[in-house]
Amino acid sequence: MRKTIRATAATAISLCVLAAHAQIVSPATQNRSIVKTDAVQYLFPEQVSVPAGKPSPVTLHFRVAQGLHINSHTPSDEFLIPTDFSIPDGMGVRLGAATYPPGTIISLAFDPKTKLSVYTGEFDIQARIVATPGNHLVQGKLHYQACDQNQCMPPKTINVPIDVIGK
Amino acid sequence: MRRNTIVLIAVLFILAIFAWAGWANWEYRRQIAEKLLAGVGQGELVPAPGGDTMNYVSPLNGKPAPAFALQNLSGSKVSLASYKDKAVMINFWATWCGPCKVETPWIVELRNKYAAQGFEVLGVDTEGDDLQASDKAGWAKAEANAGKFVTDMKVPYPVLLDGDSISRDYGGLDDLPASFFVDRSGKVVAASVGLTSESDIEGNIKKALAN
Repeated sequence: MRKTIRATAATAISLCVLAAHAQIVSPATQNRSIVKTDAVQYLFPEQVSVPAGKPSPVTLHFRVAQGLHINSHTPSDEFLIPTDFSIPDGMGVRLGAATYPPGTIISLAFDPKTKLSVYTGEFDIQARIVATPGNHLVQGKLHYQACDQNQCMPPKTINVPIDVIGK
Repeated sequence: MRRNTIVLIAVLFILAIFAWAGWANWEYRRQIAEKLLAGVGQGELVPAPGGDTMNYVSPLNGKPAPAFALQNLSGSKVSLASYKDKAVMINFWATWCGPCKVETPWIVELRNKYAAQGFEVLGVDTEGDDLQASDKAGWAKAEANAGKFVTDMKVPYPVLLDGDSISRDYGGLDDLPASFFVDRSGKVVAASVGLTSESDIEGNIKKALAN
């Protein structure tokens, strides 16, 4: 009887491993990614506590992927798309104002005469928010447009998830 | 004893169902992923013969250019089919794209140089990638920007709007500028993504005219 139980246990474990393995997408598929990684990543804070009903400063930290740049909030050309942070209505938290860092002035090898105002690496946005009392899972939005030395990606909006506790 | 055996068989049967469900799920996702990849048909960068630079190889190379009919800045529909018997450069661009701005004067110059030999450029504006269909003000602004850009750059060739609607047929176009060179028979003979050089563009135009 013991032998039977052992054999059954071994078979069960094998089948579980097989089932778990089957859930993993094969390496060949993983290597051929369909969706590119975002050019900008929201770093932190994940959670903030603020006095309810009072404008409160929150510093939002972001990182631009290596080798890329995004336009600053005040780009140097009317056609360029500014980096912009917003909070949609109806989330229990209102964005009073946002203060953006000045852009770094760069020029690219293909067009040395043109000066661009951009963010690279890590940058912070100072947001002044007003929260109603309670817990609010806010999905802020960061709109940006990224390029590298030779090409540009379409404008994109990423979510900026922050758990805001209004006390 | 007999009861235990029945229980064991039942357990094994249930586990086998789990394993089968896992395999079926994996197979389903694999097929979906392959379908998506096949639909997107993204190109890849391969080393150029000299070895110093990378060439963009599109899966469309050697295949008929996907057909389209898009509205131009005057509101008329322009189709690729109406340029049959001409060599055509389909240039995907946007006003927010710095490298596109750099290459546009080169394209204008080359278009004027080779027009008499049966060459034309179709500029395809992909301005509104991030715009919702309902965002009328956003689309109007995008169109106005495209019009201003075309005037500023003195673009003499047709510029078509809503390139996003056909970008998937041309490989997804995650990056701009992107150009496809189509010969007189309607086949794609070369493609490029990102800023290259005026001489590279001219080489591709000559390829399109030669076939």
